[in-house]
Amino acid sequence: MIEVDGTLKSRLAVWLSVTVTALGALLLVEAYFSSQRAAQRAYDSQLESAVLTIAEAVQWQEGRPVVEIPAAALQILATRHQERVFYAVLDAEGRRVSANLDMRIPAEWRARVAEEGPVWTNAEHSGAEWRLHGWEFDSAGWETQDPVQIWVGHTLAGRQALTAELFKGAVSRFLVMVLVAGLLMLLAMRVALKPMRRLRHLLRQREADDMRPLDARVPEELRELAETLDTLFARQRESRDALLRFTADASHQLKTPLSGLQSTSELALKSDRPDEWHRALAAIHQGAERTSRLASQLLSLARLRHVADGREMHRLDLSALLRDTLFDWAGLDVAQDHDLGLAELPEAPLYVRGEPWALRELLGNLIDNALRYTPPHSVITLGLVQHGGEGKRGGEVELYIEDDGPGVSPEMLQRLHQPFERGGRQDTEGSGLGLAIVDSIARRHDARLTVALRTPHGLRISIIFPLENSP
Amino acid sequence: MTPRYVHVFAFIALLLAAAPGRAANPLVVEAALDREVVAPLLAAFELAHPDIELDFRDRSTLQVDERVAGAGPAPDVVISSAMPWQMARVNEGYASRLDSAEARAWPEWAKWRDEVFGFTFEPIVMAYRLDLSRHMMPPATHADLHTLLTEQWELLHGRVTTYSPLHSGVGYTLFQQDARYTTRFWDLVAAMGNAEAVLEANTRDMLEGISDGRYWLGYNLLGSYAMVWAQQHPEVIVQVPQDYSLVMMRMAFIHRDAPHPAAARQFLDFLLSREGQRVIAGETPLFSVRPDVIGPYTAQRLRDQVGDRLYPIPLDASLLAFVDPQRRDAFMQRWRREFERR
Repeated sequence: MIEVDGTLKSRLAVWLSVTVTALGALLLVEAYFSSQRAAQRAYDSQLESAVLTIAEAVQWQEGRPVVEIPAAALQILATRHQERVFYAVLDAEGRRVSANLDMRIPAEWRARVAEEGPVWTNAEHSGAEWRLHGWEFDSAGWETQDPVQIWVGHTLAGRQALTAELFKGAVSRFLVMVLVAGLLMLLAMRVALKPMRRLRHLLRQREADDMRPLDARVPEELRELAETLDTLFARQRESRDALLRFTADASHQLKTPLSGLQSTSELALKSDRPDEWHRALAAIHQGAERTSRLASQLLSLARLRHVADGREMHRLDLSALLRDTLFDWAGLDVAQDHDLGLAELPEAPLYVRGEPWALRELLGNLIDNALRYTPPHSVITLGLVQHGGEGKRGGEVELYIEDDGPGVSPEMLQRLHQPFERGGRQDTEGSGLGLAIVDSIARRHDARLTVALRTPHGLRISIIFPLENSP
Repeated sequence: MTPRYVHVFAFIALLLAAAPGRAANPLVVEAALDREVVAPLLAAFELAHPDIELDFRDRSTLQVDERVAGAGPAPDVVISSAMPWQMARVNEGYASRLDSAEARAWPEWAKWRDEVFGFTFEPIVMAYRLDLSRHMMPPATHADLHTLLTEQWELLHGRVTTYSPLHSGVGYTLFQQDARYTTRFWDLVAAMGNAEAVLEANTRDMLEGISDGRYWLGYNLLGSYAMVWAQQHPEVIVQVPQDYSLVMMRMAFIHRDAPHPAAARQFLDFLLSREGQRVIAGETPLFSVRPDVIGPYTAQRLRDQVGDRLYPIPLDASLLAFVDPQRRDAFMQRWRREFERR
């Protein structure tokens, strides 16, 4: 039964969106931080320029640094985002030469600038966050040669705005990318699924009885499917061929006795002697009986082969079944000319899973075959041998029948179980279906059929069943 | 502001007024702006917002500046023409942002951080007494003034007046701005010192002196006051300098710690609104900044009359340099040196 489990497209879409979401989250976090860095760099350079502009205005008068704060420096600090601005010019002792806010520059910052050079830092003042930049430069007057520190700073609105702007740009680029990737993915899916559609089209166009191998170009991923389909076709072809052969053989087999009946009855009709009529009637009766048996065997073979379902397997004792069946046969007329016997059976019951009627049919066919294809007074022995299986599982039981008849030629051995095969013998009344039926039943019971020659002469047929141990 | 908004505000104000124990909504405005000049604007505001009890305190620029950071309750709105000091206060974080449609629509060049707004457009002028023109060609440019002061210094001795940079924030700002444009400004200062110019603390005193005949010539007067004065005093002639004319803006901001922020926002919104600016343009000499307002006193009309020679003092961070103590000291030193050179 075919169950539709979503579509390939939706599966691909889910995976794509999962990938995009995970990657996207990472990318966006990265984009945010890099936007922040870029904004930081851009605005930090403004602070740098402001420091340089202020440094330019520092001069020494009577041993004291004096600075006429340049308006341009404040403009640079404010930026076009109109930040609040801070500046402080400190002398070597950290005293304020000039400053505009009461923002304190801690001594350790001043020390850091003096020792390590320019300092960048963030600070909190009057309810706002500020970015500060400190820088020290050596300045000399006629009387004094002392370093001067310049500190500048501004609020962060511009940085935040630029970060937001850059981030927004990154996000929209990313969204466009996702959109394009999605479209390309759809396109790719169409292209990728094209061989599948081609294959489907090819299969749909096929004639019902067209069993030739596929003639299609497929990508590597579909090769297995195509090969499996080819194998399926091949098996169908074989089974159809087998069916046709069987039908032809069966018709042929039925035709021979029927034409015998026809000729006997024609001869009898031409004669007007009652004893000839009587003989002919007896011959017709015998022929009809044989034909009927043939037909019933064909029927059972067909049933065995084609009725796959509805089997009723039971756990049953093979020893008991064998004993009963053999007992029945031993009483029949056909068995009176042969030495039909039973080898010593194992004491414990040997359980297998099976259908009683089928196994009886199997035994019957085996015995019937042995009786038909061996000369009178031949010794026919049936028996059971257990192989392994003392433990819980894995045991097998071999059901065998052996005779001391003429056997068959070795090249026949492998074909004996095929229908209408008589072991190269045309002198018997057998239909050639016995072993085929046996084989079919054995397969139904997961058993193996082997045929072996005996020395000096004779045949041994074994059917090896899997043992069903006590539950 | 559309009338609809006014109604909404009035309604909110009424709700506030209905609170127990409060008869009205007080609003304290500390302003360096003559009450007489601005009276029509205040009247219009009170008419539009009858629920707000306006307490308008007219002071000098330096007093206003002190009030911003001083002890005691903070004012709601601070108005001053001392632009650098206003800017410094805003930079120190004393202003709170005005987030309204009016504020957003206000021209970029007349506001900073959406916290402080230049809401007037007042040209800086020279004024002279008619007597002057009987003796000499009245000055039309800064260069003319310099020439007159050097050539006619005996005649003009003690008869020239200008702002005291020490006692007036506006005067200091104007001189700083003058000095930014040309170093020849110092020659002018030296010439004024030579003529023993009298330094006054405000425009009104200068105008009164001119009307009284004490002065013949005044330099760097607020055009807004001088023009009104000249209308009532025909002996006073106002001259917008023909080379360049500075333009000063009154700057208003809402105090960070305003006790009545809602009323303060309404007041500032009114100042910036079409209605408020219309009153400024029509009934005060303060000149409206808004280009969509029509009246005798608008920046646009002034530009049409005077041309491109109007140079507004830029309302940006560069103003902060003017209040830097060292820079101020250096400037005052130079001023004194030049003025008292003889």
